[in-house]
Amino acid sequence: MSGPYSREKTMQKKISTNTIQTKYYKWIYLFLTPSILVFLFFYLQPIVTIIYTSFTKWDGFNHPQFIGLENYQKMFTNSAFLISLKNLVAWSVIAATLHVGFGVLVALVLYQRPKGWKLTRAVFMIPNVISAAAWAMIYKFIFKDDIGILNNFIRVFIPEFHVQWFYESPYAFWAVTFTWLFYSVIVTLLVLNDLMAIPQELSEAARVDGASKWQVIRQIHLPLCRNAIGTGVICSITARVAMYEQIALTTVGGPGDDTMNIPIILVKSIQDLKYGYANANGVIMFLLGILTLVAVNYIFRMNESVY
Amino acid sequence: MKAKKIVSMILALTLLLGIAGCGQKAKDSGKDKEMTQGKTETEATAEVTEIKFPTFLAGENVGAVFFLPQVERFNKKYEGKYKIVVEEVPQANYADKMKQLAQQRKLPVLVHAPSSGGIDTQWFHQVILKNDMAHDLSSFAKNHPEVAKNWVSDSVEFCTINGKLICKPMAVLKPIGLYYNQSMYQGKIKDASVEEFIGQLGDHKLAFQTAENGWTSALLLAALIANEEGGLDLLNKNAADKLWDYNHPAFVAAVAKLQTLLQKNAASNSIGAAYADAANAFMSKNASIICNGTWMAGEFAEESKDKWSNGFDGKDVKASIYPGNVAIANPRNYGEFWISNNATEKELEAAEAFLAFRDSQEEVEALLLQEGGNAPKLKYSEAFIEEQKKNTLLYEFAMSMDENTKYVVGLGDVFPASVADIEFGKLLPKLADNTLTAEEFCAELTKKAEEARQ
Repeated sequence: MSGPYSREKTMQKKISTNTIQTKYYKWIYLFLTPSILVFLFFYLQPIVTIIYTSFTKWDGFNHPQFIGLENYQKMFTNSAFLISLKNLVAWSVIAATLHVGFGVLVALVLYQRPKGWKLTRAVFMIPNVISAAAWAMIYKFIFKDDIGILNNFIRVFIPEFHVQWFYESPYAFWAVTFTWLFYSVIVTLLVLNDLMAIPQELSEAARVDGASKWQVIRQIHLPLCRNAIGTGVICSITARVAMYEQIALTTVGGPGDDTMNIPIILVKSIQDLKYGYANANGVIMFLLGILTLVAVNYIFRMNESVY
Repeated sequence: MKAKKIVSMILALTLLLGIAGCGQKAKDSGKDKEMTQGKTETEATAEVTEIKFPTFLAGENVGAVFFLPQVERFNKKYEGKYKIVVEEVPQANYADKMKQLAQQRKLPVLVHAPSSGGIDTQWFHQVILKNDMAHDLSSFAKNHPEVAKNWVSDSVEFCTINGKLICKPMAVLKPIGLYYNQSMYQGKIKDASVEEFIGQLGDHKLAFQTAENGWTSALLLAALIANEEGGLDLLNKNAADKLWDYNHPAFVAAVAKLQTLLQKNAASNSIGAAYADAANAFMSKNASIICNGTWMAGEFAEESKDKWSNGFDGKDVKASIYPGNVAIANPRNYGEFWISNNATEKELEAAEAFLAFRDSQEEVEALLLQEGGNAPKLKYSEAFIEEQKKNTLLYEFAMSMDENTKYVVGLGDVFPASVADIEFGKLLPKLADNTLTAEEFCAELTKKAEEARQ
């Protein structure tokens, strides 16, 4: 007796759940529509245009002519582009290790709440509110040979010291690197946020079991901040893919092509009215961004829960 | 429950309509903007026709000192009939702004000519001329013979394409030479050969630039090339179609000389120096010589003494053209302004009135007194000649040119845009520190030009 009755009830429940779900779906899609429209018009449409025109010869005004893979062939045989890729790999490694590492270190120090940690956090934030362009100009003066603070300091010990950091090989690469290397406040904030969300009981239990401070950090804190660190790595590497101001306002990719990167090539191509070629560079930047996202997601297992 | 539903529905609809509304508003505001622009650009009230156009001859640009008061003089002369309103745009952004406006088919009535304000001739040909976006000024020339007679013939010929006069040709040539501090350098310049000049330099320093577009260095290199056998023709004959191969012996030999000068006679701040650094080196006695145009003369006047340091005195500065009696000038170029085909009848009338005003005898003479140069086809007034003598620097410069002076175009006229603006300056440090030989420098520059080619 109870069997058919309960089946009926279950059926009724299923039907009502489906109806509710259908009802909700309607609302969900309705609310999603604005976002979808924004994505279609302001993201997808430009991306599609960039991909399409990257296969064309286009001066940005007259009708584009389809030329197949010619832009890509030119790009991969262009020495400046190959140097850009090499630089990007080097900067990405530096960003993922030293830059993110420094950010994590600061977060771990701040998490201990030493005296003045709030002030330190605020001060550490300052470079982030200064635009990259202004920061590049500040560094240009720091690294100037005649009036720069760095060389004047070195000359106290080595009077004959003269290096044009932004204009001599191999220093230019490192001079550009220094314009962003230690400004990892985003990483710090991300990691600090995750650190603060770790239940105190975990650390306390570990300490009761005799774990040292370093062991607590290594075995509990860092693994539980895996997602924040992964996000920091993604942000840092993609910022290197898109880095423009720091180079355009200092070395413009020079001396020679020593500090060349893809955005500089892209802008230079636009200057020469080679929009098709510029967009081929844009496509590569887009793909590099996606590749970074996928690789870091996989390495840091960011889709898995940390708890 | 029902109320909740209604509220949710309203919210969702508001969001959706907001987006659609934004799109619509963008369209509408575009229309509004056009209308307002139409209103501001051509305030076609019964009396006054107003033209608003962007210019880089404003703000800190040296050209603003003459141009802005000139606009005021025009507005005063035509008060109640025409009015020019300028929109100040930094020189570095001017070309980009024009390119964007051209894409939107919203070019202003008056646009600066190619080779000025960063506008490259390639864009002008590919976009403006190919799409017939420049107004034919032939009728303007016919209606204003008093103005047209003063135009430089080479410039008129160059500005005439397929029978149409697409830019207002130049009336004034502003040859570029150099300035030297007589309290530091007393050697010969114009009458010396390049070899003699380099020999006389000794420890004297030149204010070179290797950042930005390497302007002061590029000027000297052009003069050095012009002094090499076949160099003058190499540059002058390639101004129209650009020079793409820099491996010519004249080019290589000149680069070798530039390399020697960069290594032995460059001011201490030359590597990485932008224009301001080069000017500062000269005006602080860290360099005896700087290559630049007549528009820099104002920097050596008493009013600019706040820019001087280290005992520099503007009175010590002398002007000259380059060794080998070479001056940099390009009469075969696109003049000063062109009028876009967007102009209405009234705007056209106002723009032509402005161009005619600008090329009137009084205005040309005023320009020459302010910025130097010469108007080869203009018969100067007595008052002007007397006045010109008072500005010794500009007078000296004008007098340093004679019938044997060789005129060469600047490198900016023969390089493709990215080579002129980026690559040349970027490679100079490698030439200075010997990473590249002169041959390698020229080969590398050729490679960059090839990459810039369509």
